[in-house]
Amino acid sequence: MVGVFFVVSIIMFILFNNVPGDRALNQVQSLRGKVSDEIFQRHYEEARERLGLDDPIPIRYVKWMGNLLQGNLGYSTFYKKDVIKVIGQPMVNTIIINIFATILALVITIPLGIHCAVKKFSKFDNTVQVLTIVGYSVPSYIIGLVFIFLFSVKLGWFPISGMNSPNFQGAGLEAVLDRMHYLALPVIVMTVASLGGMTRYVRAAMIDALRMDYIRTARAKGLKEKVVIYSHAWRNALLSVITLIIGWFMSIFMGSIIIEQIFQLNGIGKMYYTGLMNQDYDMALAIQMLYCVITLISNLITDLSYGIVDPRVRINK
Amino acid sequence: MSMLKRLFGKRDAELDIMQEEALQSPLRTVIKNFLENRLATGGLIVFLLIFLTVLIGPLFNPIDLSEKEETQINVAPGMKMLQVPDGLKGNVKQISTGSTFSVGVDNDGKVYVWGHTKITSKIDVAKLIPSKEELGKVVAVSAGFDHIMALNEDGKVICWGSDRMGQGKVPMEVSKKKDIVQIAAGYQISYALTGSGEVFCWGNENLNDVRLTKRNGNSNIAKISVANTTLMALTKDGEVRHLGSQKSEIANVPEDLGTVKDIATTADACVAVLEDNSMRIWGKANKSERDLPEVEGNIVSIFGGRYHLTALSDSGKVYSWGSNAKHQTEVPSKASGVTAIYGGGYQNYAVKDSGEIVTWGLKGYLLGSDELGRDVFSRILNGGRMTMTIGAIAVIISTIIGIIIGGVSGFFGGWVDIVLQRLTEIVSSLPFLPMAMILTSIIGNNLPEDAKIALIMIVLGVLSWPSLARLVRAQVLAEREKEFVTAANAMGVKRSSIVFKHIIPNVISVIIVSATLDFASCMLTESTLSFLGFGVKLPRPTWGNMLNGCVSSVVIQNYWWRWVFPAIMLSICVICINMVGDGLRDAIDPKSNER
Repeated sequence: MVGVFFVVSIIMFILFNNVPGDRALNQVQSLRGKVSDEIFQRHYEEARERLGLDDPIPIRYVKWMGNLLQGNLGYSTFYKKDVIKVIGQPMVNTIIINIFATILALVITIPLGIHCAVKKFSKFDNTVQVLTIVGYSVPSYIIGLVFIFLFSVKLGWFPISGMNSPNFQGAGLEAVLDRMHYLALPVIVMTVASLGGMTRYVRAAMIDALRMDYIRTARAKGLKEKVVIYSHAWRNALLSVITLIIGWFMSIFMGSIIIEQIFQLNGIGKMYYTGLMNQDYDMALAIQMLYCVITLISNLITDLSYGIVDPRVRINK
Repeated sequence: MSMLKRLFGKRDAELDIMQEEALQSPLRTVIKNFLENRLATGGLIVFLLIFLTVLIGPLFNPIDLSEKEETQINVAPGMKMLQVPDGLKGNVKQISTGSTFSVGVDNDGKVYVWGHTKITSKIDVAKLIPSKEELGKVVAVSAGFDHIMALNEDGKVICWGSDRMGQGKVPMEVSKKKDIVQIAAGYQISYALTGSGEVFCWGNENLNDVRLTKRNGNSNIAKISVANTTLMALTKDGEVRHLGSQKSEIANVPEDLGTVKDIATTADACVAVLEDNSMRIWGKANKSERDLPEVEGNIVSIFGGRYHLTALSDSGKVYSWGSNAKHQTEVPSKASGVTAIYGGGYQNYAVKDSGEIVTWGLKGYLLGSDELGRDVFSRILNGGRMTMTIGAIAVIISTIIGIIIGGVSGFFGGWVDIVLQRLTEIVSSLPFLPMAMILTSIIGNNLPEDAKIALIMIVLGVLSWPSLARLVRAQVLAEREKEFVTAANAMGVKRSSIVFKHIIPNVISVIIVSATLDFASCMLTESTLSFLGFGVKLPRPTWGNMLNGCVSSVVIQNYWWRWVFPAIMLSICVICINMVGDGLRDAIDPKSNER
């Protein structure tokens, strides 16, 4: 787990070192022309010294890693600020959007998946199956375009892009409502984009659980169908659904790069995008590292949650 | 009844054991199962159709990456640019073609407009035609880039269409003149020639290189001809003049022309018809425009389109030459006995002595055109080929890596397995989309375009193998314990050939299913990357980057054809591949169907 993190960080470090351009030169670029060549050369040497560009690779790696662990993520050349100061608010925004989208998607897909599994091969189920193939085949940005066309352009219910009304001054509840109005469409698009895959997964997990012998036993005991489905089958299907939920949370975390880009939301994905587009590689690598950490943590949570949900799987049993 | 018959009825013939207990090879079972699944079969057919179209289509529709045509921007889908209205047939007095629309006048002085007439979201030159009272009896018309001019028998000039640069405001000095003989509409500019040989102009004089003073030769002019943004004139003495001030190639009129009978202009070149019926061309003409045809007989009429020229000889034969990118020089065989030719832009109209109008040239754009005037249909064909090629090669790469790593790890076990498992874990814990973005932007920064495309394939392939490797490993672990492997081991077969020759063929079904589904996801990832601007860069089209410039309310609402068609193609294609993949999985493993 930690080992994986370090290997990933080494990959990132190699990328970091292959960033085009001389970082020391970038820092002293503004001095060029203003001072004599000699002083410029001295400043340049100092910058190289400060950035440790002349050190051997392993030492540079350790220094970089140390900085990273201390929260020193580098300097954003685009925003002219330390990266750590820039990414705070976008981070919160992204997490809010993702949590809303995940909860909404779960509220829809879990009942739908269970219903389809219980009534499998019915007309309703077959229709849903076809729709889910469509759902997970159509990329989120196409869903985004269609929804903007329908709900923003044609019906005018939601704004097309942005986080707030321009020149918005209100506070308190008013501000929250305004923000919700702007975030509604992105959240809906993200939810719709994840419906297809999640429904299929819940359905498959549930069908597997319903095939088990204990379900027959439970039915034979004369338990109510509701109890059989929700208490016996669902509890067992939950194990694989948990993996799904965390995995899905991750993937929409990454997928929000697209959504934030389409709707011009001030989120972490948009930051990543602007960072890469404007050659602000400190920013991009910091966010990339963050994505890696999030992935690893979510893997860990998945493993741990197995133990919580399923008493049979316990570490060090 | 049939049941009874089957039980007790006399059989037609004795079946032998092979027929009665017919065995089917696994492959045939799979095919039968697959074909029974209507959804999957339909998906396969649709996918194959799309695949063949994008494979073969680009051969007939090659793409010009540097293509840019300002007169054909954002044209809506439709094929009506050459649809001459019925009222004009057999009764043509004159036809003139502008950018995407044509205007015609019949012998009774009635004006007709057809083609892509809705040039902006507000201006529709067909709906703006002035009333009959205002127009009077029209004798000549001329269509420009975004406006139309008409001249009636009283010598009055009327303009309609866009008036943004003042091209629609006829100046006083022109409306006072009663002897106007020729009108010509250009790129946001209008010209009028009087019988005394004087030219007037109004409109966007900043964009157009026009200087109309007596000193500059603005007198005694017999005919004017509008090039892209400048004006050429023929004097009554048969001399060609450039009525502008800038030094350009077209302004550089050859000195040894002699007496000129007629002139015609394309976008940046001018053709003069000399006394002896030979032609001379100068200006920024492309190779095919310089390729002047040998005309039999006298040239009676000549006009220039945007990048082509059409001439008529007195024997009624029509010659078209120049660029043929939009089929504008393909003269139909029935164009003989022609009495008059009209056109411009990319359209040609020939009126035969029987009154029939023969047309050739650009009919329109099946799926519209985009912000640079490029044909969306041809970009979809070429973009589809790119998207599918990248998807396919990425899948091949990831499948090969997946098979090798999964196979080796599953068969050999031990520390090899542990190391490879960790490797799989590392790669699968790299966040996919951000990783692909950062790799293509950092590594691909200084690469040439073709190498960048190869890089995208490799990045996609290298990042997407872990799931297949896990699948293969699990399958190999199961197969490894079977008897035939023990037998092969006992016979001393090499271990590597046991893995790849004995075991892998038994897990091939899993691989095929996984590769099919991966193909869909690789296509999606590629188009997502291109959509975000990290994949294939413009002007090279893919289905993803065609959607790149479309996220704005103006495009979404007014130019819907620019995003709807690529989006539909991409979605249908991915849906079909996923259906085929699902169908294959069900066909190969009937047990999975019960899920």
